[in-house]
Amino acid sequence: MTVLLERVTPGTRRIGYAFAAAVGILLVGAIVHPGFASWTSLRAMLILASFIGFVGAGQMLVVLVGGIDLSMPWVLNGAAIVLTTTSLGRTGRLVPALLAALAVGAAVGLANGLGVAWLGVPAVVMTLGMNGVLEGLSLGLSKGLTCESCASYVPDPLHRLVVGRFGGVPTEMLLWAGVALFVTVLLTLTTFGRRVYAVGNNPRAAFLAGVSVRAVTVALYTLSGVFAAVAGIALVAYGGQPSLGLGDPYLFESIAAVVVGGVSILGGRGHYIGVVAGSVTLVAIVTLLQAQRVPEYGRDVIYGLVILAILFTYGRERADD
Amino acid sequence: MRDRLRGLLTWTPSMLGYAVLAATVTAYLAVYTTSLGHLPTSFDYLSLLNTSLPLIFVAIGQSLVVLTGGIDLSVGGIVSLCVAITAAASGASLPATIGWLLVVLAVGAACGAVNGLIIAKGRIAPILTTLATLSVYSGLALKVLPVPGGSVAPAVRAVLTNPNLPTGLIWLGLAVVGWLVLRRTRFGMRIYAVGSDETSARAVGVPAARVKVGVYALSGLCSGLAAVFYVSTTTAGDPNAGAPYILTSIAAVVVGGVAFSGGRGSARGAVSGALALTLVIDVLFFAGIDPLYQSLFQGLFLVVSVLLGSAALLVRRLRPRGGTS
Repeated sequence: MTVLLERVTPGTRRIGYAFAAAVGILLVGAIVHPGFASWTSLRAMLILASFIGFVGAGQMLVVLVGGIDLSMPWVLNGAAIVLTTTSLGRTGRLVPALLAALAVGAAVGLANGLGVAWLGVPAVVMTLGMNGVLEGLSLGLSKGLTCESCASYVPDPLHRLVVGRFGGVPTEMLLWAGVALFVTVLLTLTTFGRRVYAVGNNPRAAFLAGVSVRAVTVALYTLSGVFAAVAGIALVAYGGQPSLGLGDPYLFESIAAVVVGGVSILGGRGHYIGVVAGSVTLVAIVTLLQAQRVPEYGRDVIYGLVILAILFTYGRERADD
Repeated sequence: MRDRLRGLLTWTPSMLGYAVLAATVTAYLAVYTTSLGHLPTSFDYLSLLNTSLPLIFVAIGQSLVVLTGGIDLSVGGIVSLCVAITAAASGASLPATIGWLLVVLAVGAACGAVNGLIIAKGRIAPILTTLATLSVYSGLALKVLPVPGGSVAPAVRAVLTNPNLPTGLIWLGLAVVGWLVLRRTRFGMRIYAVGSDETSARAVGVPAARVKVGVYALSGLCSGLAAVFYVSTTTAGDPNAGAPYILTSIAAVVVGGVAFSGGRGSARGAVSGALALTLVIDVLFFAGIDPLYQSLFQGLFLVVSVLLGSAALLVRRLRPRGGTS
């Protein structure tokens, strides 16, 4: 018991809070709205949460080194458009189309990383600029999503894979579990992960200890771009066709999921398992408000207030004096 | 005299804004004249100024916040809320309209002050606080004005953004003068002190928490002003009107040379940044570029101007005795 208590660091405590928040919202939902915590409803929420989980994974990686990725909405949207326009709905072109969509994410992420790490452009500016670049390219090249190939659907096998089940569990959730495993192993069991936390806590100390701060930063932004593309692929595979503005809600949701998940916005502290809880919390709040037929304005107001309340509980910075 | 000259030539952060603005004005004149065959008329300048006034005000507020090392994402929500109130109250008589405008400004300042209190007293990071309040204020805007609509009293339009008389120029001048006065006050100095090094500022007795509350309240007030000018130029209200201003105000501040680390830059730079960003859209229009590509060029414009700024800073550092320290 004492061993267990000693292992409760502020970091793990925050993960505990994140799960407590998720469970708390679900409990409130189950009480005020019968059937809210049923398996069918939970499964639907988990699938919605998985999309936030994908963008949250990328956002968390850059937040860990004190950065931020504002290019997510249009990387997501761009990857979704690239997937359908290159596959043209044909099964034979699925693999190259998937690779092309992921390559878009990786390329934008790499550009972000190079700009931030080598050219010293502030992360907010670099990723905001790249979001604009991607938005312009997506809209311009697809002529506002009116081009000939823009009407194509996602190849059927991918659609069936994402909405289907494997051993009784929705594949989308297995995919999320895979992402969670990958990010957790990467951050906790590899040298690279150690370096990420070192850079996040103190870049100068990490540099003096021989960590290539720039290489780590570039790698993280690239991964962030890839995860945004993964979210785009999953969303378009789920819905069948891309739309303009598909990624817009995911910028703020990714940041909210990361901080509700107990990751410090200043960098250096946090684990992906918390972000998983954070994503579920966000979806549970919105679902509950919709189930209660709260009008749109009320949803926005309550959503903001709940996030503020969560931040007040465990998202505060230490006092300076 | 030589010292003064050198002082003028020394690179300061806001000069990035002036340089970028000069470049965009040149580009604007070039594409306008080549596509229409004559120089822009005073009407063109005036409508440009009137359309850029809302962004100019939001950018001034944003620059104050960024100077303290913070960021205000809720400007979008505050502008939306204030636009909604202004438009919803448009049917009132003239004295009542003036009263409503004052209410709008008070609401803006109050929303900003709430941000400041949560950030300074609650110790929640600015980006997270304003992300949450953005949602709250946008929701309130939808409550006040569920669908786009409303109008504006002609008298208000004639005074604020008269399409035929350069009233916009007067308001722009007042905004800049307001900033010049503010930065010379004790409060103005404290903004820079908190932004440069908060711990040191506290140590010498600067009430950092009060300064932050004041700065966010001012940012809210600026968003309120922007909303009034928005309704006056577009003559209609939209409960989502503020959303674009979140990113464009940050872009204007950055192009204007205000450093994200805080403590460096000025609101004058942000004003030039806002003007340049609005001008770029016209440049693209007269250059015959498909409007779908608009954000591509805005994004490139943002990144390239920041890179130019860092390059200029680098050159200055490499040159011995280049700066007046």
